Amino acid sequence: MVIRSVIIAGLLTCLMVSLYGQTDEPTVYVSVFSTKLFVVGAANPQTGMFFQKPSEDTVWHHTGAKNIRANALAVFPGVNGRIRYTASGNGLHRTRDGGRSWKITTGWRITEIWAVALDRTDSMNVFIGTAYGIYKSTDMGDTWKQVFTGFVSCVIVDRFDPSILYAATEIGLYKSTDRGETWKRTGLSIDRTRTVTQHPKDPLTLLAGTENHGIYASSNGGKTWEKREAGIDHATFYTIAYDPRDPSIVYAGGYATGVYRSTDGGTSWKRTCQGFEIEHIHSIAVDPVHPNRVYAGTMGAGVYRSDDKGETWRAVGLPGAQVGRIVIER
Amino acid sequence: MKLLLLAAVCFVLGSCTAQDDPVFDVRSSRLLEVVSAENEVSPYVIAAKVRTGRDLAGACLLLDSLTRDRAMGGMFYAYSLIGAYLFTRDALPDSLHAKVRLAFRDRTMYRGDTENHWVMYYTGLYLAAQTWPGEGRDTWFNGKSSEENFQEAAEWLGHWMTTSATIGQGEFDSPTYITTFLTPMIVLHEFAEDPVMKKRAGMMLDLLFADFAAEHLEGNYGGGHSRDYPEDIINPLGAPSTMWAWLYFGKPEFEQWEEARFRPRNRGGWETAFGALGSYRLPPMIRSIATDRSEPYVHTETKRVRNVIRLGTEKNPPVYKYTYVTSDYILGSLHGGILQPIQQHTWDVTFASGRPNNTIFTLHPYASGKELAMFFPEEIKFLADEVDRYHLVYTSPDKWNSSSPYERTFQHRNTLIVLYNIKEGEMHPHIDGFFPKNLDERMESAGWILCRAGKVYVALHPVRRGQWIEETVNWRWRSHQLKNGVIVEVGSEREDGSWEAFRTSLATTRLDTSAFNTTLSLSYRNRQGVDLRFSFDGTRMVNGKEIHLTDYGFFEGPFLQSERGSGRITMRYKGRSRTLDFNTTEIME
Repeated sequence: MVIRSVIIAGLLTCLMVSLYGQTDEPTVYVSVFSTKLFVVGAANPQTGMFFQKPSEDTVWHHTGAKNIRANALAVFPGVNGRIRYTASGNGLHRTRDGGRSWKITTGWRITEIWAVALDRTDSMNVFIGTAYGIYKSTDMGDTWKQVFTGFVSCVIVDRFDPSILYAATEIGLYKSTDRGETWKRTGLSIDRTRTVTQHPKDPLTLLAGTENHGIYASSNGGKTWEKREAGIDHATFYTIAYDPRDPSIVYAGGYATGVYRSTDGGTSWKRTCQGFEIEHIHSIAVDPVHPNRVYAGTMGAGVYRSDDKGETWRAVGLPGAQVGRIVIER
Repeated sequence: MKLLLLAAVCFVLGSCTAQDDPVFDVRSSRLLEVVSAENEVSPYVIAAKVRTGRDLAGACLLLDSLTRDRAMGGMFYAYSLIGAYLFTRDALPDSLHAKVRLAFRDRTMYRGDTENHWVMYYTGLYLAAQTWPGEGRDTWFNGKSSEENFQEAAEWLGHWMTTSATIGQGEFDSPTYITTFLTPMIVLHEFAEDPVMKKRAGMMLDLLFADFAAEHLEGNYGGGHSRDYPEDIINPLGAPSTMWAWLYFGKPEFEQWEEARFRPRNRGGWETAFGALGSYRLPPMIRSIATDRSEPYVHTETKRVRNVIRLGTEKNPPVYKYTYVTSDYILGSLHGGILQPIQQHTWDVTFASGRPNNTIFTLHPYASGKELAMFFPEEIKFLADEVDRYHLVYTSPDKWNSSSPYERTFQHRNTLIVLYNIKEGEMHPHIDGFFPKNLDERMESAGWILCRAGKVYVALHPVRRGQWIEETVNWRWRSHQLKNGVIVEVGSEREDGSWEAFRTSLATTRLDTSAFNTTLSLSYRNRQGVDLRFSFDGTRMVNGKEIHLTDYGFFEGPFLQSERGSGRITMRYKGRSRTLDFNTTEIME
């Protein structure tokens, strides 16, 4: 009788943990640009958007169009992944029903999209960065207006004030204060910028990654910048990610870098590359629920995961993939 | 049996022939006879089998296979699938109609990132949307309705045609890629229901063929090329363009697929079968332009660089082309520099010959992520490896195609000067020359490398020395001098008389390299006594008069004339003219 009670109690506990875990578990989305086997026009391994729950470990599910060389993605927060975008050479793919149906929202005038950014206060506002400039939509991508000319790698919307945007471009780091209508170069003197990230709690603090010139930080919304060199032995950074719960912890990755981690908000850095098959890192995302858990997208070896705040890493699937972007949403 | 089949094919074709063209009729019949006997899963084989009535059941099985592999997709598939379908649909069972339709729902027809990709993609999309009008967004791979797809495709195709007729193609004059423009235009011309689109597709075919014809010699596509595979560069008669010349120009005489020495890299490249099935007929004037070599002539063109997306100041800088055409050889050149990524072929002399590898040229094998980043949006530091994955030789020091910022040319009729100024520390600090082993003679005398290929004579005078490396089909001349140059003189028995006379005439030339070390410039008096002066910085002078490349027309020569930006291209032959006016979609004879 006692044994039976213990078994039943155990099973109930497992069930509750399991249920709790499922509801609490975020979804990890990644965009796969290419794989080692990619050949234009041929029968290629699947690329595009993939997703998983962290508990699925190495299992990924494909969604949307195949073979689209997906460079980036965005997920509108708070709606269970119902609204998602995949940015590709083919155009901007959009779903509004959680992936059941997709539409390319752009036409022939827009191509080679490398970044997509959403206004988290208004799902209608979408911004894309392309090889030809920045385009703005106020109707979820049904119509577009070009607002910037130049090669753009990254666009972000200010988390606290959606009228402010930043863009990392081949001709410098730019800022808009009027919802993307006009753009001015920030005080960063480096031309070829690759990524920009905003502090999750301090809107004026920014970190920028550059091609060949390392990492720069601004504490006044981009007016002035300082190079962050302590502990850094590499020069090209494609991605920088704050821990959303503890912004003193920051991760950065780029060409041959492995992952750099800072525990003082980006002032000094320590490199870790234990476990990586390839040390080219193109995207990093921190799990908002389990901050020990960090994902890194590589250029050619799929997705890696750390469960100890970036100390050690292991491959968790999509082998051979060049992973453009990782987004984790509840 | 064979004759009966040929007669049947002729009958089928005869019913759709737009105008009499005996050369085309005989060759298209022969081509369809060959292609319809193939058994590969190819849209061209399928169309040939069905249209000749040779093997309907086999064709249906192949088409079924073509619609099954859901991993396959993309622009090559989009236009060729709808093309095969439209050429054969009246003979197909209902089940296959449905499968082809579903392919445009279930497969991702990726648009790609080059001009030829977009032409194929939008041609496929246009015809598919036209074929299945009024269908909803959920029935198309891209979530757009039939009307949205049709409009987008029509807009872009119109845009491309206008661009090609005013500032030129980016992927211009390519022996390899011409097939990816001609085939979609043949399908579009055949099946577009809008009479304006149909006519403009026909005008594009006229333009593409006329552009080829002006630099054509016995099946060879002469002159500089935007993009070309190395196999086609060193063996010009093995290029896909030769198949088109065979079918439409009636040259060369031999059947490319039967000749191991000229066989295309992909035997299955039967795209010309769509041409054989189609109703487009080459205007006789264009065939005359392609084949009348009674007088040598200079032909210049202005094309454009493909979209420069970074590390440049102009989106589509002009490309200046100079070609000298005779009945025995073509000497042609692009003006130099990075004009196209990866596969540029800057200059060569190609001679009429019954032998393979009938060409001589030099190049600097340049490779860098920076060059690729000008044209491709991917990460700069990965681009070279990425390109190597499917073009295989991009970073090779031995490659035979290259666009180099360290190469400049200056051509005056049958004399060419090429200058090299390679930066210290470059990946491949040398220049290479291609010399086929099957030349009748190759010798060195008084600083000249002297070559004879039948009745064609070629002399190259390197400014600085190199060494010979023996390879399978050629000798490779390699110089490790970073600053170098090559004077090229080409002649022929018809122009110069004997081989000895040609060699003797070289003694009358004068080369002054006294300023070469300081300003990388030289002066040269050629065999005709013309004084040429050329500096790497771009100064080009003939008899003291500066040559401005900007004076080149869009087309300028005895056969083709057009002012850049006008949208009007005039062909001339023996007092007759034919003008393509892309502004009004009119053809004036």
